[in-house]
Amino acid sequence: MAQTRNEYWSEIRSVYKDPKDYVLAGRGNAYVRIDAEAKVTGTAVYTDDVYLPETWYCKLVHSPYAHALIKSIDFTEAEKVPGVKGFLTGADFPEGHNLGNPEAFKELADKEPLCRRKVRMVGDEVAAVCATTEEAAEEAARLVKVEYEPLPVLLDPFDAMALDAEPIHYPADQPGTANNLSIFTVMKAGDPDKAFEEAYYTDKSYYKTQEMVHAAIEPHGAIAKYENGEYTIWSTTQGAYVSRYWVAWGLGVPESQVRLIKPMVGGGFGGKLDVFAHELCPCKFAERTGHPVKCILKRDEVFKCTRTRHPISFQIESAFSKDGKLLAKRCRHILDGGAYGGSGIAANTLSLICATFPYKVENIDMIARRPYTNHPASGAMRGYSACQVHFAHEIHMDEVANHLGIDPLELRHKNEITPYYTGPTGLEFTSCRFKECMDACAEAIDWKNRWRYPKGSGQAIGMSGSGFMSGTGFPVLVTPHYCSSTTIVRLNREGYAVVYTGANDIGQGCDTVMAMIVAEELGLNMDEVKVVQSDTTTTPWDAGSFGSRVTFLGGNACHHAVGDAKLKLLKHWAEEWGCKPTDIKMADHRVFLPGDAEKNISYNEACYGYEEKNFGRCVAGVGAYNHEGDKDVYVKNVGNYATAYSFSASAAKVTVDMETGAVTLDDFIFGHDCGRPLNIRAVEGQIEGSVLLGFGFTCYEECVYDKDGRHLNPSFRDYRFPTALDMPNITTKVCSEYDEEGPLGAKEAGEGSTAPVGSAIGNAINYATGLVIKELPITPERLWKALREHERTGKTEFGGEDLPEKFANMPPLPKRYNV
Amino acid sequence: MAKRVISFKLNGVDRDELVLDNMTMVDFLRKQMHLTGTKRGCEEGECGACTILLDGKAVTSCTMLAVEADGHEIVTIEGVRKDGVLHPIQKEFIDKWALQCGFCTPGMIMSAISLLNENPNPTEHEIRDGIAGNLCRCTGYVKIVEAIASAAKIMAKEVAK
Repeated sequence: MAQTRNEYWSEIRSVYKDPKDYVLAGRGNAYVRIDAEAKVTGTAVYTDDVYLPETWYCKLVHSPYAHALIKSIDFTEAEKVPGVKGFLTGADFPEGHNLGNPEAFKELADKEPLCRRKVRMVGDEVAAVCATTEEAAEEAARLVKVEYEPLPVLLDPFDAMALDAEPIHYPADQPGTANNLSIFTVMKAGDPDKAFEEAYYTDKSYYKTQEMVHAAIEPHGAIAKYENGEYTIWSTTQGAYVSRYWVAWGLGVPESQVRLIKPMVGGGFGGKLDVFAHELCPCKFAERTGHPVKCILKRDEVFKCTRTRHPISFQIESAFSKDGKLLAKRCRHILDGGAYGGSGIAANTLSLICATFPYKVENIDMIARRPYTNHPASGAMRGYSACQVHFAHEIHMDEVANHLGIDPLELRHKNEITPYYTGPTGLEFTSCRFKECMDACAEAIDWKNRWRYPKGSGQAIGMSGSGFMSGTGFPVLVTPHYCSSTTIVRLNREGYAVVYTGANDIGQGCDTVMAMIVAEELGLNMDEVKVVQSDTTTTPWDAGSFGSRVTFLGGNACHHAVGDAKLKLLKHWAEEWGCKPTDIKMADHRVFLPGDAEKNISYNEACYGYEEKNFGRCVAGVGAYNHEGDKDVYVKNVGNYATAYSFSASAAKVTVDMETGAVTLDDFIFGHDCGRPLNIRAVEGQIEGSVLLGFGFTCYEECVYDKDGRHLNPSFRDYRFPTALDMPNITTKVCSEYDEEGPLGAKEAGEGSTAPVGSAIGNAINYATGLVIKELPITPERLWKALREHERTGKTEFGGEDLPEKFANMPPLPKRYNV
Repeated sequence: MAKRVISFKLNGVDRDELVLDNMTMVDFLRKQMHLTGTKRGCEEGECGACTILLDGKAVTSCTMLAVEADGHEIVTIEGVRKDGVLHPIQKEFIDKWALQCGFCTPGMIMSAISLLNENPNPTEHEIRDGIAGNLCRCTGYVKIVEAIASAAKIMAKEVAK
């Protein structure tokens, strides 16, 4: 819980505008994006659009093996390609400077910039080539000969956990002592065993979700130059400062000699949080050649070599009373971590945290394990862990309701989180309109008449709910720096203000929100607030765009910064006018004492007067915000994870073609408690995008591998996600109240909103077919097979059939983390 | 690789350019003409981010060669704003928040122009069909469809005048 830090903080808050006076940029809350014109005219500059004279190109050489030792690398043939200028291998980077996320344990920094001795996934980077043209670099990269000695490949996370498994990272001390766990988490509260013993209803169910990718339309890439001993990199990053830390570490140079600029970013969704070889290699080549060097990944490289969403296998046991009160939960989550840790480490703890709400459950016994496998590294992805967890747990909720003979909506209401509830592991909920979200969806979809579509008729509606952290204070890629957001605001006497925000706009529109917050407090127009985008030289520290922290933490930092500037300005004029700073208002480009026509000056005059009295010093404010959590949260697994929590509910209407298994999403209603929406169009846009991701997750998307770990569908042709023709109309119901701690009352919108989508669609499909599908994605092929098998055998539950045996035969947790 | 001179119209201006025979249109526009509004998303004709107009019709510039433009007219996103005035589709994209990260936006707008050239009064389904070759990962397409429908109405009124 963030508290009132000190007296100065309260003083700043005292000059904030009264919420009832908000004009939200003078256009209600539908003001336009500050970058919209640049984006519709093609002038917006993304990483690949940064053109520097004499730029050379870098291409990476990838492993074709999922698990192998590197025996030799031969550049003889590659060197002959005209235009080739140089090569890099792992030996060109300082040994031991691995990239990753030593969040809890230092061995979690596990990724070499280029692999030295071993590759752990198909696509692992083993060498890099520099040439004068992109085509020459590509050709030369193809001609680099790498000799490998293949090792056994582990693709199933359960196989990877076996004590006699091939070690992926940690060598086994002796045969039969393999430890391929990258991290595991134990979370316990109350007395679950007793609760299970005494419960009226108990069960044990299994669910499975698949590997999917972020698929931002902009591929990852970077361009670097080296001048005056300093590296400057433009990169497709979600966090300029955190990327800068890891780039400097990987290169073995001080952070002061690396400048990272985030230009426009064409979507991230979590996939652009980690630092990659395509950022480090151009730096090294730029240093060696004196030329700017660019490396833009091809689409298949983005699929194979960046990050994916964790596939999770679930074993869920629940205990309920006869009247539907959730008494206890026992969960085992197995997350396929792929080859590396990176931003993926946090997924493990998060998967358990997500399972403790949006329903009250006092007795829990939860363990999550994240084994390494030879799949591509899993990482953070929008609705981090929540999408998978709320798919499994919300499908389960409907199963329980149907067993108990309680309406699923009523069962949810009986257990829903209420305002100011504190969870069993210390989550401190504040504002909460979860109930209202569910009711709004139920009404809009006409839930009470849901049996107008009889079970198994091929049509049905389904509902689900979820919650998410709003403004996590914890890093997903830990650095020695504090995980805060910082902003500087400068007031200019020429009639404008400049906001230097560390927040990373990756398309979600936070630069626009920051401009609006400043305009709101100063009484300026949107075009009188200039935003300096995230750049480690010109903007202050920010930990990045993840964990639904941007609006909440970045917005509060910005509000604080403009408040600091405003307070300085108003204190000056209060002295001049013989009143209190809180008496003075700023609106419509004026600074004035209400009711006194004499004391009414322009914004320009006000700034000028301040400077005149202060030896020309301009009015400037600094603001910062963070969540005061326990930094050991990933070790202890107890504590409050975020400053606030958002809540969501979804209702889906589907039609299933019972002949072919094809699913049509006819209608989708989304109820969202995002605090006060700062821009209703931005909130709707985030929700509509969430529904696309959720629908893709549920019915379309899956990375498919062969037995050797080769990605079989690394293209948009073979990895399909919903097009405009597949998407339904979406109705957004904002069911919020003003959040006391949020910037202008807002909470997060856009990440948690992906979480309930899959289970609403899944539940609808289950009612439409009369089956229970427990594994994603629910493709026409899978559904067709299930429908035919049901006709033949009467079987009703499909998916995760292999899991009971696998969960029953898991090895114990490793000794060194004994619990 | 051989080169040849092609003569074509680019964003309203007649041009003669020396191009490599094997250069794709998207690379030619971006690397040679420095028109970076046309985006590279997949380079296999699937995502639509590189969509341009070839004689008024939407094509993916990653699946055509630059030499194919010889004797034809090309319009890229940079040529859509005329005399400093935004096209109605551009205006509606701004007003309706029909974009987020903006990476698919240029291609999406080119497809929308092509659609409205051929069908000035499309149904919602026809709009969705018209942009089905343009992938967007941010918006769920809702506001894009809304913006194109709204632009069609505005353009119809302008024609009526």
